[in-house]
Amino acid sequence: MEYNPNIVCFSCKFGWGYVGDKQSGNGSPENWVPVVCSGKVESTHILEAFKAGADGVLILACQEGHCHYQDGNFQTGKKVYLLQKVLETFGIEHERVRMEMARNPEGDKIVQLVKDMKQDISKLGPVRRF
Amino acid sequence: MAEKPKVAITWLGACGGCDEAIVDLNEALLQVADKVNIVLWPVALDFKYSHIEAMKDREITLSMITGAVRNSEHEEVAHLLRKKSELVLAFGACATLGGISGLANFISKDDIFNWVYRDAPTVVNPQGNIPQTAIEVNGKQLTLPEMYDHVYSLGQVIDVDYYLPGCPPPSDLIATAVNAVLSGDLPPKGATIGPRRALCDTCPRNLRKPARIEIKEIRRIHEVEAEPDSCFLEQGIICMGPATRGGCGETCISINTPCRGCFGPIPGVEDGGARYLSALTSMLRAETDDDARRVIDSIDDPAGYFYRFSQPTSILGTKRPPQATEG
Repeated sequence: MEYNPNIVCFSCKFGWGYVGDKQSGNGSPENWVPVVCSGKVESTHILEAFKAGADGVLILACQEGHCHYQDGNFQTGKKVYLLQKVLETFGIEHERVRMEMARNPEGDKIVQLVKDMKQDISKLGPVRRF
Repeated sequence: MAEKPKVAITWLGACGGCDEAIVDLNEALLQVADKVNIVLWPVALDFKYSHIEAMKDREITLSMITGAVRNSEHEEVAHLLRKKSELVLAFGACATLGGISGLANFISKDDIFNWVYRDAPTVVNPQGNIPQTAIEVNGKQLTLPEMYDHVYSLGQVIDVDYYLPGCPPPSDLIATAVNAVLSGDLPPKGATIGPRRALCDTCPRNLRKPARIEIKEIRRIHEVEAEPDSCFLEQGIICMGPATRGGCGETCISINTPCRGCFGPIPGVEDGGARYLSALTSMLRAETDDDARRVIDSIDDPAGYFYRFSQPTSILGTKRPPQATEG
């Protein structure tokens, strides 16, 4: 059976579509969690995603300098960078957490970004833990 | 005269520091010893597991179990004491959280065996012997417990009534736990014996802490002379205080050593390491991504630091498979 990685996607509603739970255009990806700011994404949320069977976590934040709450995207950038190092020690490759900082108010690129990440994660295979 | 309550104390995958903490109760220990009948304490007294096996179920009032579950003997003893005890107290950081030895979960059992019995420079093992669970010697079979792939906390293997954190737990909390059992004034099942607040709340250095901590460089405690009265984090020294339960008596803080997190997370938090990670990064002051990354890169072994005592009970730690916990 072909490996179909589970990607959990957190997206900031300001930079990536303030449309509540329904996305227009290209439909909505599976496991999609719109949040009020990427700064709301806690390290525990990312760990819980992996525990629940995610193969990768995608965080879509506003572009640099454009956070509605001043610097939530920058704060999350630091958090994600340190968490990637910790995850490597847990046996989870850093490529499995990806953060994009850009502006896409319609949110129409989200589906494609999830697809791209799925493709990259497919090369890694399922999460291997000791 | 009514029979004295029976108490068992035992160590699983432990260093003996918890037993030492019990001995450190000094005169109070003699008073406790008058009131109870100690039926098992391998580190101090000579008893046999067969004596425990011969007891009725739940005959022991309290079993205080220290150490993590690392091998099949630990698991067997844990199940035996659970069966024979009314109450089980997970005693100390290893039993409560998995402890220091839980860091072994970051590598595999094969890696450990290869290093310890083959690759370490001090190893002399020309025949390449590694521990076996059973072997024939002169027609007789000798057995050893099986080392598991993973280190577990006590609560991941048996049902635990109360948790007493600390590496080791301080005397006052040990006395609180024992007295609660002797007096029958018990907290709700599953409770952790200790305050509900974070260490920072009672830290004497908190008084001089600035309103906003901004860390520009990470420093390690042995590389600098830390200010004895200032918040460690303010000095760029990683201190687990914000994410760690208080109640330890600030023993490390008072000798100018930052908190390492042996009391585990505060109530309501499953993964203290992850919460600490978020708190620490929010304190890092950097103007650019590159600068932030440079500071983060200077943190040596972040996973080992944040999960020093709690890897097995963290979100990505693994519970013992259910089929093995029955019995």
